Amino acid sequence: MNPNLRATALIADDEDAMRAQLRSRLRDVWPALEIVAEAANGIEAIALAGQHQPDIVFLDIRMPGMSGIEAARMLFNRCHLVFVTAYDQYAIEAFEQGALDYLLKPVSADRLKTTGERLQARLGKQPANIERQLSALLAGHGGGSGGKGTGASAAKPEYLRWIQAVVGSSLRMISTREVLFFRADEKYTRVQTAQSEVLIRKTLKELADELDPDEFWRIHRSTLVRVDAIQEVTRDLRGRQMVKVKGFEEQLEVSRGNTHLFQQM
Amino acid sequence: MNKMNETVGAWPELLDTARKLWWNFFDWLAQVEWRRLAIICIILMFLLSILGAPQLAICFILMSVGLKVLAGGKRKAELEAREAATHLDEESLERRLVEAQMAALQAQVEPHFLFNTLALIGQLIETDPPEAARVHEHLIAYLRATLPQMKARASGTLAKQIVMSKAYLSIMQARMKSRLAVSFDVPAEIESASFPTMMLQILIENSIKHGLEPKIEGGRIDVRASVERNVLQVEVIDDGIGFNPRSAEGVGLTNVRERLRILYGNRAQLMIEAPAEGGTRALIRLPYTPDIFAGGVQ
Repeated sequence: MNPNLRATALIADDEDAMRAQLRSRLRDVWPALEIVAEAANGIEAIALAGQHQPDIVFLDIRMPGMSGIEAARMLFNRCHLVFVTAYDQYAIEAFEQGALDYLLKPVSADRLKTTGERLQARLGKQPANIERQLSALLAGHGGGSGGKGTGASAAKPEYLRWIQAVVGSSLRMISTREVLFFRADEKYTRVQTAQSEVLIRKTLKELADELDPDEFWRIHRSTLVRVDAIQEVTRDLRGRQMVKVKGFEEQLEVSRGNTHLFQQM
Repeated sequence: MNKMNETVGAWPELLDTARKLWWNFFDWLAQVEWRRLAIICIILMFLLSILGAPQLAICFILMSVGLKVLAGGKRKAELEAREAATHLDEESLERRLVEAQMAALQAQVEPHFLFNTLALIGQLIETDPPEAARVHEHLIAYLRATLPQMKARASGTLAKQIVMSKAYLSIMQARMKSRLAVSFDVPAEIESASFPTMMLQILIENSIKHGLEPKIEGGRIDVRASVERNVLQVEVIDDGIGFNPRSAEGVGLTNVRERLRILYGNRAQLMIEAPAEGGTRALIRLPYTPDIFAGGVQ
């Protein structure tokens, strides 16, 4: 590669030390490459790329706010992209298949030279259209940032997994895996766990719509029971099916219309 | 000849059936309630008197009562013992199964964390060798605390768990710099309390991974422990991006909840709260047992 070919670049990584490392390696390998800006997250990377119009953007994959892959979707037709990661097995496989440029941390000088050569060959040409690869990456990678509030791009419907209940002055988060059953109780809905019982304002109908139908079954107009918590189903003297829940005395009635849930009893 | 054979062949079968019926009767007799037995006896006596054979009825009654007195107690004890054994089997099987799953989970030092830390150390060796040495030391402390614990079954003390979490958080601070503030508020006198391994660490890693790492400006983690009425409470509070009620519960929290259930039954609790001011508050409550063998703080 030609160390004297002039070009501009932007480095995006949330860790100072990692930006410093890449910068110093680039200075050794490609001194004529000018680092015009450094970003500490994906959003900043997009803003600074718009401002400085660099030829090349080095993007860390895991960054707060917006992952490198998400940021890449907004940058790919404006500049040449190189992904940087310490460990992202899935992404690395995808990069190799899709012939995207990537670097592994810690970045070695030899590897950086190879990347530099490829970049120099492409400079001045229209950047490759990598939208398809990026979409595939995002779908498989859950947004790349892996945060619980950020993976909004999941394809399958997201069911309610935590019940929010006001207990005293705080908002308790109860995992649906803890819940034995929900029971309509006048204006409220009773949430029963092995250890406690709380009331929430959400109606049984709303819950039935939001919860995973494979996790909770509606056995009665006023009862939603977690399938895994069912210990046994018996018939009482009047021939009604009654559900017994693990570690709990109270039996739950199955209404006539729902007896098909427990066939062959 | 053939006919002879058939009758001979039928004999053992008949005997077998008779034996089975006898034992069924015996079992029934052993288990039946006294009251019900009395009613049956009266009916039988009545019927047999009509048929003109009251002696037979008296015979049956005497035999039944005699048998019941002899067999009842033994039979009952046998049945109870068998039930208890299956119950125990199920419980210990479940316990072993969960333990195995938990051990497998604990063994997972997150590769992402490990590789990023190694990359950081590599860089620091060039730019800031003393800092590199510090991070390197913390990494060793973290791995040492994490790895042998997978094998050791004995649960640790709170002090041990805190040492390990401090090492982990120091590494995260070296990486996240000003984006991460940490504080520990654990009275020295309760540091010797027993505390199951990895639970504090799982809560802290959750706070980092789901609360603070995705937050651009970062934030802080506070770890607090207290004892009230013999209940030890350990809290991890962050001011991160907070909870998405639609994200599935991670393996970490499930792990903590299951292990608490197995170790303490209903006497321990994992609670997650979303404070009004944002972030997440996770707390574990369990019976306070000072570890008398811990011999003070390490």
